[in-house]
Amino acid sequence: MGVALGAGLAVSIAGIGGGIGMGVAGGKAFEAIARQPEVGGDVRTLLFITLAFIETLTIYGLLIAFMLVGKM
Amino acid sequence: MIFGMWDGAFFHIGPIPVDHLVVTEWVIIALIGIIAFMATRDMQRVPRGLQNAFEAIIIFTKDFFTQLMDEEHVARKWAPLLTAFFLFILISNYSGLIPGAAHIAGFQPPTSNWNVTMTLAIITFFSVHVAGFSEHGGHYLHHFVSPSPLMLPLNLVEEVAHPLSLTVRLFGNIFGEEMVIAFLLFMAPFVVPTAIMGLSLLLGAIQAVVFTILSASYIAAAAGEGH
Repeated sequence: MGVALGAGLAVSIAGIGGGIGMGVAGGKAFEAIARQPEVGGDVRTLLFITLAFIETLTIYGLLIAFMLVGKM
Repeated sequence: MIFGMWDGAFFHIGPIPVDHLVVTEWVIIALIGIIAFMATRDMQRVPRGLQNAFEAIIIFTKDFFTQLMDEEHVARKWAPLLTAFFLFILISNYSGLIPGAAHIAGFQPPTSNWNVTMTLAIITFFSVHVAGFSEHGGHYLHHFVSPSPLMLPLNLVEEVAHPLSLTVRLFGNIFGEEMVIAFLLFMAPFVVPTAIMGLSLLLGAIQAVVFTILSASYIAAAAGEGH
């Protein structure tokens, strides 16, 4: 019971943080591209790298959830 | 079969067990190798067909990595490795979409096991330091104690964290996606999983691109001036 709750909380709390971060980063990137369409390529590459870094933290939460489910 | 580990080896080469993942990797390597061999078998000055396609790929990746890594000779040196990473990861991510993958034992994408992704990340780890030493010689060691020797432990942790995060990112994404598809197949065997499978076409390509771009930027950071 406790382990199942922990697994759910691990992935959901990690998802909240990652979602907010990705939203802010993506929104700012779109603003930048809308303001200066000629830098679109550079911004897109940087955005993907940034999203990958943010996503890693969420994936850590998912990994912990899988480990907890494996222990059940 | 928790954690993507299906422990059944077909046979052993010395102490190394050869299981389904190793065989899948061999098939992928043979596929890339045979197509590349066919493309370069009789090369023409004016390329046609497969050779033309491969030349387009080579030129595109060289330009892309030159733009990303700032220096052309570094990009020329490392573009083949990074392109091989991209092709291997892309094909092995997509190998999870073959009908029957992930719910027949012994048939799953190699990148959904973290032994495979950690191997790729360790190759990146060594490439970064080889690139640093071959560009700067012994002077490369200075960047571990910059900006001050107090930062040495943090710099060392960072060197370990890079391959660890590469490993976990690729493994977590592909494994999570496989689990979602397997769960949907269990709940609704027909039609419903195609939505997630369509999404996983996109995710597999993005993960391959992200692994390649991050490896390229780590190598560029070690080989470039800015440290």
